[in-house]
Amino acid sequence: MNKVKIKSKNLNVHYGQKQALFDVNLDLNEKEVTALIGPSGCGKSTFIRCINRMNDVIDICKVTGNIEIDGVEVNDKNLDVVSLRERVGMVFQKPNPFPKSIYENISYGPKIHGKGDTKSELDEIVENSLKKSALWEEVKDRLDEPGTSLSGGQQQRLCIARAISVNPEVILMDEPCSALDPIATAKIEELIDDLKKTYTIVIVTHSMAQAVRVSQKTGFFHLGKLIEVGKTEKIFKNPDNKMTQDYITGRFG
Amino acid sequence: MNLVLIFLIIIFSSSLFFYGRSKTKSLAISGNIKLNALPKFYGYYLVLWCSIPALVFLLIWSLFEPVIIKSIIIDTAAKQGAIFNDKNEANLVYEKIKAIHLGTYVGELDSILKESALAYAKFINIFANSKVVLIFGIIIASTLYSLKKIKNNNKARDDVEVILKGLLFVSSLIAILTTLGIILSLLFESIKFFSVINIFDYLFGTNWSPQRAFVRDASSITLAEYQDLKDAFGFVPLIAGTGFIAFLAMLVAVPVGLFSGIYMAEYASLRVRRFSKPVIEILAGIPTVVYGFFAALTVGPFFRQVGENFGLTVSSESALAAGLIMGIMIIPYVSSLSDDVINSVPQSLRDGSYAVGATKSETIKKVVIPAALPGIIGSILLAVSRAIGETMIVVMAAGLAANLTINPLESTTTITTQIVMILVGDQEFDSPKTQSAFALGLTLFIATLILNFIAQRAVKKYREKYD
Repeated sequence: MNKVKIKSKNLNVHYGQKQALFDVNLDLNEKEVTALIGPSGCGKSTFIRCINRMNDVIDICKVTGNIEIDGVEVNDKNLDVVSLRERVGMVFQKPNPFPKSIYENISYGPKIHGKGDTKSELDEIVENSLKKSALWEEVKDRLDEPGTSLSGGQQQRLCIARAISVNPEVILMDEPCSALDPIATAKIEELIDDLKKTYTIVIVTHSMAQAVRVSQKTGFFHLGKLIEVGKTEKIFKNPDNKMTQDYITGRFG
Repeated sequence: MNLVLIFLIIIFSSSLFFYGRSKTKSLAISGNIKLNALPKFYGYYLVLWCSIPALVFLLIWSLFEPVIIKSIIIDTAAKQGAIFNDKNEANLVYEKIKAIHLGTYVGELDSILKESALAYAKFINIFANSKVVLIFGIIIASTLYSLKKIKNNNKARDDVEVILKGLLFVSSLIAILTTLGIILSLLFESIKFFSVINIFDYLFGTNWSPQRAFVRDASSITLAEYQDLKDAFGFVPLIAGTGFIAFLAMLVAVPVGLFSGIYMAEYASLRVRRFSKPVIEILAGIPTVVYGFFAALTVGPFFRQVGENFGLTVSSESALAAGLIMGIMIIPYVSSLSDDVINSVPQSLRDGSYAVGATKSETIKKVVIPAALPGIIGSILLAVSRAIGETMIVVMAAGLAANLTINPLESTTTITTQIVMILVGDQEFDSPKTQSAFALGLTLFIATLILNFIAQRAVKKYREKYD
């Protein structure tokens, strides 16, 4: 068992009047893949957006409770959000490459954070990020082409490379394969398996099969509450909770 | 007369609506048949069939009646011994005859005019009577036709659909034909102008003084007169003045408009936005003449005063004042359009940027603005074409002297201002001076057309990227 990297305690989230998360207590282990499953609107995405404070972007969203990374409080008002997000990268549901070249898509993050002062250092970061996201072989000859010219699956791997480029500790993935075909999905899953050696990964998914394939730990959310969490094997073979059982066997959701 | 006819046609055809509706209803009941459309469609069908042919006929008749009567009258006058040297004289006689008929003529009367006036009265009468007869004939024919169709239970719903489609088509045709007509009239008058003034003298001449063109008849211009006119119509000072004032305006409008657009789209809270966006857009609703006297009475003198304090001579009508006020006028265009394009940059791009740890301003600078750039450029180009076409502010604030200068403190002039100057007051329509206005109009039209074309292409390209 790896040590705990992220720890949430009594985490509550409100969107205006509506409460989206209720007292979520969830520990995520270092260098492991944790899958979050549950029906749409259950709060899984809201939860991972708390980890890198992406909910700050939404005006009406209010987060209370605690969430710690390596024992440091994320919800602290004085915390530098920019350096938090440098440590906690994120990949979104729909591939969202910038309308820039492939190269610039990757070098964007490092440049902002002052990494890679010289061209050759930057080249190296770009090459490494693309290699880690298993895209290098496909794009190495056309780094100047726009990122938007790639296929959907390639775009998503480009976004993963962009997340990796600033060398984070945690990568959050919000349904990264929901817009992709099975072949591209398989590639991303393979990649996730590889990435977990270096990074702590949290993945939100609607595909039970995907959760089984990629994760070591699974949490089941329903109506804003964390119903059950445990080893992926256990959750899918022998869950404690009746609701979890119903959901994974497809009886609701 | 025509109004009464139109009124009658409309009253008659709309009353047919009720007839058609109830008639088909009773037809369906008594004959026990299934109607091909709801009864009201038979009503519409009757209304459309009975009004449109008559109205169209009336329109065409009214267009051609005066032309035909005129040629007949001029013919009869000629037969009675009137001698016309050219078209203008014929027109003059025709106007005289008309005036006699209306009883407003005050000049000398001779037998030819008297006879012609009588003939005129006769023809007017014949035409009016035959118009009424023909219109009634058309209405009766179209009513009988449509009633017969209804009795045969036609597919009235589909037929109404076809007629309405035709109406919509004609409407768009009118818009297109009008545009075409304007372009052609510009083109023909310009061609007349360029037959006197060499197009290269016009395009590259650096001296604009159209008041020197007192030549009445362009076709009989002598070589000496031509030599004199040759350098009176130099386009360069005007395009330079136009460009210069537009440039000054953009210097004000682009930064202020763009930054306020960015603020509105990215920073302003919903409440601020809801209040301030309409306020900015009010700027666009102020009539330009109001900006004009603001520029001429407040800003111009203010600049002169400030200039004096610095020991500069500032003309009270300066390009600077006009440019500044025009810039303020254009702010809402730039602001509102760039606000829209920035807003339509997908949130996911911003999220992607935030997620690698970029701050808000870095995200705006490096992701949002570049992504919205084609749209922003499009909005700026639209604003430029607005600035180039603007007249009133320049007339009032920048003066009329066609100086070729880049000193913003001197007075200068623009294309539109000169068109106004040329066409104000009594004009000889075949003097090169007047025709030059059409040439200016054509040049201006082409310039703004090119700008709009580029702007629309830019905006379109931007849309394709995200849709």
